[in-house]
Amino acid sequence: MLILNRFCLAIAMMLFFAGNLPKVWAAELGEPPVLEARIAAGELPPMAQRLPDNPFVVDMPSLGKTHGKYGGTIRTLMASSKDIRMMTVYGYSRLVGFDGELNLVADILESFEVSEGRIFTFKLRKNHKWSDGHPFTAEDFKFYWEDVALHPELSRSDDSTEMLVEGKLPTFEMIDDLTVRYTWEKPNPLFLGSLAAPRPNMIFAPAHYMKQFHEKYQDKAALDKMVTESGERNWVSLFINKGRHYRPENPDLPRLDPWINLTAPPAEQFTFTRNPYFHRVDDQGLQLPYVDAVVVGISSAEIIPAKTGSGEADLQARYLRFSDYTFLKASAKAHDMNVALWQEGKGSQLAIFPNLNTSDEVWRGIFRDVRFRRALSLSIDREELNQQFFFGLGNVSANTVMPSSPLYEDEFANAWIEYDVDDANEMLDEMGLKMGPDGVRILPDGRPAEIVMEGAGNSEETDIAELLKGYWKEIGIRIFNRNIPIENLRRRNLSGETLLTLGVGLDLGLAVADLAPNELAPTSQAQANWPKWGNYFDSNKVSGEAPDLPEVTQLMDLFAQWSVSSSTEEREEIWGTMLGIYTDQVFTIGIVNGVMQPIVYRSKLKNIPSEGVFTFAPTAYFGTYYMDSFYFADE
Amino acid sequence: MINYLFYRLLAAIPTLILISMLIFAVIELPPGDYFETFLAEQEALGESVDPKKIEYLKETYGFDQPLPVRYVSWVAGMLQGDFGYSFEYELPVNEVIGSRVYMTMLVSFITIIFTWLIAFPIGIYSATHKYSWSDYGLTFIGLLGLATPNFLLALILMYFANVWFGTSIGHLMDARFIDQPISWEKFKSIVEHLVIPVIVIGTAGTAAMIRRLRANLLDELQKQYVTTARAKGVPPFKALVKYPLRMSLNFFISDIGSILPSVISGAEVVAIVLSLETTGPLLISALKSQDMYLAGSFLMMLAVLTVIGVLISDIALALLDPRIRLKGGRHR
Repeated sequence: MLILNRFCLAIAMMLFFAGNLPKVWAAELGEPPVLEARIAAGELPPMAQRLPDNPFVVDMPSLGKTHGKYGGTIRTLMASSKDIRMMTVYGYSRLVGFDGELNLVADILESFEVSEGRIFTFKLRKNHKWSDGHPFTAEDFKFYWEDVALHPELSRSDDSTEMLVEGKLPTFEMIDDLTVRYTWEKPNPLFLGSLAAPRPNMIFAPAHYMKQFHEKYQDKAALDKMVTESGERNWVSLFINKGRHYRPENPDLPRLDPWINLTAPPAEQFTFTRNPYFHRVDDQGLQLPYVDAVVVGISSAEIIPAKTGSGEADLQARYLRFSDYTFLKASAKAHDMNVALWQEGKGSQLAIFPNLNTSDEVWRGIFRDVRFRRALSLSIDREELNQQFFFGLGNVSANTVMPSSPLYEDEFANAWIEYDVDDANEMLDEMGLKMGPDGVRILPDGRPAEIVMEGAGNSEETDIAELLKGYWKEIGIRIFNRNIPIENLRRRNLSGETLLTLGVGLDLGLAVADLAPNELAPTSQAQANWPKWGNYFDSNKVSGEAPDLPEVTQLMDLFAQWSVSSSTEEREEIWGTMLGIYTDQVFTIGIVNGVMQPIVYRSKLKNIPSEGVFTFAPTAYFGTYYMDSFYFADE
Repeated sequence: MINYLFYRLLAAIPTLILISMLIFAVIELPPGDYFETFLAEQEALGESVDPKKIEYLKETYGFDQPLPVRYVSWVAGMLQGDFGYSFEYELPVNEVIGSRVYMTMLVSFITIIFTWLIAFPIGIYSATHKYSWSDYGLTFIGLLGLATPNFLLALILMYFANVWFGTSIGHLMDARFIDQPISWEKFKSIVEHLVIPVIVIGTAGTAAMIRRLRANLLDELQKQYVTTARAKGVPPFKALVKYPLRMSLNFFISDIGSILPSVISGAEVVAIVLSLETTGPLLISALKSQDMYLAGSFLMMLAVLTVIGVLISDIALALLDPRIRLKGGRHR
């Protein structure tokens, strides 16, 4: 219901603007200077014809932003050419997307309508065009659905879990040129969220371009020739590589993003230039993005902080860590840069995962006793860790959602985090783990309570692990730390060889009810606290083990309920219950979250909020902060 | 000579087959494969990957087939000039390496010439002025260059080059010249950026070369023909260059065997620190992520170059030094 309300509001706002706007934005506010020559030469139509009839209006004042001007190039650095996919994330042009308040709003779509949580009707903007000027219509959805998603070979490389409800795909209808509808038999709460994801679920493709690579539309001889020329294995991989949307490697692929890549890999630098047909305008009628181009330089991760500090990036956040802050701040002045501190979006910067599926029977029994997990949590001096590593700027917290998430409750964050060694010792005594003569507790089978704690982290993680070792010595648990490559760690984990592991906390620290609570229940073998149960779920009960702990089966049930829920209120309630169980049971042990992430940007680059959360999901790093609204002010 | 060449070329075949097997086995040795690395990396970022997609990728790249089959298809491909497919770049290996090979050769050639220019005079000087203060002093500096960790030197030089001369950090040219046609400005930028890698990579090689040249030359200088030449009144410079220096150059010729592959690979660690667009970092990251065919094919190229280089240096030695016999040992 809430979605519907928000949706109505969005529509109302849009109609309001639509009524007033065309005159304004068609007025003489001007074309981007960089396009003027091409417009004069007749290569590009004027702005009024490039924009959809009803463009997406970014109301700058209501977002606390200022009106910008055209021009300039943003330089930023990435560590590998694979990282150019971040431009798809930063650009954040989605069918529906999250706005600044984490509400789902229509973006590429003009409007969307959901009924019974299972019938999704999407309406496109009239006269919306691909970056090559070809109309973007329902035909592009139809092509994708019929010739890609349902194609026996092409569909295999397709991420489609969100499209399945109890194993069934929706029925697709093309109602008219601008309207499409997806209908499932049961509600699909994942669908809208997946369209708004940083890595979006693509349900359309530029049919006019992609058809030339499809066996159905291209004659075999011509297709074979293209396959040979490109060095691909067959037409399927040709089609997939040419049409790869998330990583924008193909400069010829028509797109809907604010900036379009012009450089084919391999390259050391990728230039993204403005999409003349981008569908957003500011409230004064200037077409977004303000900035003409984004140049992505490829460097090694090790020297990115140094390069940033020497003024070689106009906007940089990735590969900068809080430990670089003082250096960046010191060099910012010399290069006319600003350093803002945003928060990271993990549920906990570092979390400890007791493996409930470990092969060691004695330890397994102990880990499954909630008193043990709580004792481990209570004996950590989080305040000290926060001071020591994060200048006290983080929030001490259990591994749960951050205060800026709408689902946040104090009781989740504060569950079993007060520093109380006596309480912890009492709990362990109660469990019957007797203290040995050397200050190490004795396990039921007579072994000393010694644990190898494994991690795959950086030096900060290793340092924290050393302090944890000290804390747990106080409660009679001896820890040995060990660092191994992440792939090996995961493999050891899944086979039950690990006891305690270190890793990052929940990815969705900024969770909203419309995103799946899959991290709170065993749903993936990558979850280090219950890898075998997670494997049981993600292998469709083929491998792994079925959960047998009552609280965990309850989480599974709740997750299943969420997966068929039809309203946001219902989902909010499920999220709340799950977070309550998860934190009270201390299935993972969190330390601090909301740790600072430095954002370095040129002082004249405006509209970058001084505070924010820099995280992949759900805010797509700069995505929901509208990177297309960043602009260079005059000196 | 022809027979010898034929024999050596024939012997190279089993050597290369053995090397190819070793390379394949070593890359396969660590548990897991590229796709696991890929999966872990994606998930670390918060991106989820459908297991179905991994399965698809494995199948497309032939990972569902048993090891020997993959090995044979890899080798067969290489014989036809197809070095396989890089998973990481999703491009044919030829293209990935090809894009970097020229820059690598440029850096390597200049470095080698730099090393020679420094090492030769110092080596000769140290040998002719042995046990003098200048000998000790120069040797000390040379050894200092050898002993300083390259990456550390690279970082320090990079920092000062940036602070004092405003040279942009890392890479082989200023970012604004990438993809631009060559111009005087671009050339200047490349030269500016070449200074640090050449010095850093060069210093390490210099010390070794100084020591070897000095030792070889000292051996020769003590021989009687030198004394005789001097006694007969041959000018000192000629008495040095005409025979002893030439005799002591054998080590230099046999070095060609190792120079050839290093021209292509460049110095890996320094290149990573300086973020150079050479093949070294490519190889390291491919090995780390188990990007099978990129790493394997590249190592294989290096192996082939080593074999050829050794052959060339053997032949050159035989031509330059009549005392070395091609048939030695084989027909005994």
